[in-house]
Amino acid sequence: MSLDDTRDDAIATPQQLRTRLVGAGVVSTALRVVRGVGWSLITLGLLMLGFVAHQLWITDFFADRAQRGLEAELTTRVAEGAEVVAYDPATGEVSGALGLVPADILASGDAAAIAEAVRGIGDPATTPSNFDVPGADRFLLRETAADAGDPVGTIRIPDIGVTWTIVEGVRTPQLRKGAGHMPDTPLPGQPGNAVVSGHRTTYGAPFHNLDDLAVGDSIFWDSPIGTHEFVVREAPLIVKPTDLWVTNPREGAWITLTTCHPKFSARERLVIFAEMVSGPNAPVIYGQT
Amino acid sequence: MIFRRIFEALPGSLPVRILISAVLIAALLVALHFFYTWVGNNYLDTGGGVG
Repeated sequence: MSLDDTRDDAIATPQQLRTRLVGAGVVSTALRVVRGVGWSLITLGLLMLGFVAHQLWITDFFADRAQRGLEAELTTRVAEGAEVVAYDPATGEVSGALGLVPADILASGDAAAIAEAVRGIGDPATTPSNFDVPGADRFLLRETAADAGDPVGTIRIPDIGVTWTIVEGVRTPQLRKGAGHMPDTPLPGQPGNAVVSGHRTTYGAPFHNLDDLAVGDSIFWDSPIGTHEFVVREAPLIVKPTDLWVTNPREGAWITLTTCHPKFSARERLVIFAEMVSGPNAPVIYGQT
Repeated sequence: MIFRRIFEALPGSLPVRILISAVLIAALLVALHFFYTWVGNNYLDTGGGVG
């Protein structure tokens, strides 16, 4: 065999190569692999599109439906009236409920009538057995206790177009209604630091634009005891999800709003601190009585 | 193609296969809903709580 003969055998034309590969089943196997990868990618893409649609629209649907029910429930809670509790400004201690101020007196908005009702209930001479804060010389209005998932009030933030009914609790089932009040912190309008957490991108995204708030912006809280106004005192703060210090008690009455950060991620938390400037309990808490 | 094969592999007459398909699709959608909810609540937006 000459060198030229060997060369003719080794170098096949594209047509010959194709014929050999088809004969060996290599082409059909490769086509099956390519087709399989293609279908897998298409399926994965559809699943991801479905996830986006679910998060943006389906969760909103559930939150909107929950919100409609909560508005009616909150009306019922308003009709229950409000509790009166004794308050010691020196220690921040608050007593158990001394009595109830009827809803019709609260709804009248007549500050003198409300104050008279509160004084009547809070008088130690008439309710000695419940007066369990020795240093207390002031009385606060407080909402009746709410179970997890029950509405506790409505938050309004005009600067970012938010009006949202807040429920008690910040566990997953409660937060599917949009936003919740953290148990073990006081309700907004009570002495201390009330913490409210809400979704940023799903379940109606009540706190989607929370980062647009600036120092001096107002946050309103409507509850069974009346309307409160809070003013943002610090620029939005970014913290870790484990930074529990943001929930620490504060002197006066504050509301702390927390949400996920950045948008479409749960990596960090965006926090807003706002101080109460007016509300049914503001004169008592800030010692103006 | 694959869906057609699955449909043709289902037992029973045409109406029965259509019924089984509807049940399977409903079950798939429910499973996807729970899966998407779990992923969203754990990685995309937990609700903003701290602690």
